[in-house]
Formats: sequence, C-alpha cells, structure tokens
Amino acid sequence: MKPFRASRGEIVARLDRAEAGIVALLLDQLEQLLVADADDVAGDPVLERLFPPGHRSDREMAEDYRELTEESLRGGKADDLAMVRATLPVDGGEIRLDDEQAGAWLRTSNDLRLALGTRLDISEDTEPPEEILGEDDHQLAVYYWLTAVQGSLVDALVAGRAGRR
Amino acid sequence: MAGPLAPTWTPDSSVDELSDLDRPWVTIVWNDPVNLMNYVTFVLQELFGYDEAKATELMLQVHHEGRAIVSSGPRERMEHDTSRLHAYGLWASYQKDS
Repeated sequence: MKPFRASRGEIVARLDRAEAGIVALLLDQLEQLLVADADDVAGDPVLERLFPPGHRSDREMAEDYRELTEESLRGGKADDLAMVRATLPVDGGEIRLDDEQAGAWLRTSNDLRLALGTRLDISEDTEPPEEILGEDDHQLAVYYWLTAVQGSLVDALVAGRAGRR
Repeated sequence: MAGPLAPTWTPDSSVDELSDLDRPWVTIVWNDPVNLMNYVTFVLQELFGYDEAKATELMLQVHHEGRAIVSSGPRERMEHDTSRLHAYGLWASYQKDS
C-alpha cells in the first residue's frame, strides 16, 4: 500500500491486489448488514454501534430519533459504500478521489473499523497482534491496517484543505 | 471544567434570536476506543466549522474526560447535529442541558 496523500486537488493512494480484495470483502459484509431484514439482525452489536441511540436515558425520545433519522442514515451509508466500491481498483492499483469520493471513503472506512472493532471488542488497551495465530489475530491485523489507511486519509484531507487556503 | 461551549459559528444553522435565548439542549460526543483522534478533530471542523485549535480542544476533552459538549441550541437542531455526527460514526447523543 501507498498511503493516501493530497496531490493537485485530488486524494490518491495505491492498494495492492490482496489489500483491495480485503476491502471488497469488508464492503460486502457491511452491505449485507445494512440491507438485512431488521428482524434478522435485531440486537446486532455492530448495528447498534453504527446507529446508536440519539438519547441515552429517555427511551421514547431515542425511539423518536430513530424513526426520524435511521432511514436517511442507512441510505447515506449505503450511498457512501457504493461510491467506495465504484472507486476501488478490484485488482489493486491507484485510487484517485475527488472531494466527494474522499468523504465517502472517510465515512465508510470508519464504518468498517467500527464494525471490526465492535466484533473484536477493541478497547483503548488493545494492541496490534505480534503474530497471526488464528482468525482473530488476522482480523485484528486487518483492523490496524484499516486504521493506518484511514489515518493517512484524514491527514491527506487536512493537507488538501490547507493547500487550498 | 468549563460549562457548555457555544460554537464559534454554525455554518448550517441560521441565528434565531428566540432560540438563542432558549438553549436548553446540548449535543454530546462520547469517547470510544475506535475513532481516531485526528478523525474526530477533522469531523468537528467539517460539521461545526470550528477552527483546528477549538476542534482539537474538544477532541482532547472527549478523550480525557469521556465526553464533550460540541453544540447547544434548540432540541430539533441538536437532533440534527447528533444525526450528522452519527453519519460520521461518532458516538453522539443529545439531551437537555443539566
């Protein structure tokens, strides 16, 4: 991978084939969750993290908030995901993003990290795996790889904004 | 710790004198172990128009104290602010200011 950087008004990065494949797989998993029948995924901790209650103590207000916002939040996440998929080089290669596409990558990469982080029960004390002994270590390594990708994307966006001023 | 922090300016909300007098609601961002510090700072700048220093201060407050008030105003606007934060995956909620 070549991390994200700002380049002449665009945000660019490069993924190798295996990395692009991992992102594509994670996008599929997130999409399945977003389009799933509500009854089938009731209580799913990842969905609870992606669509948290708007109010913490007043259940009625939290329910009103959900009715008011969840459909459009869900739609926004689906639109972002579609844009990321459309700009992902499936066999690896360069990613070149305008501002709107970079915003979609920013939010979706965060959703992927939230999903993985929730499944893996990440805490502030969690550290990258020293060696890959099992599936959880592998997932954790992917999580930290995504963290690096997203961190570079934020830095590139900040640099891009600064360059325009 | 200082009380509720008024935004320096809120680009997507018009100043309503009546609602400015009546500001009992706040939007809170809670600490979580996944969201990156530079990401939270960036999102607060994007959504609320805070400068980098202000956004960083709020992010650090979330990180160290577990929560920070990022906007205040009428309930409907706080619902809206909360949903904009949720669109970016920040752990946010709104409540009546205590």
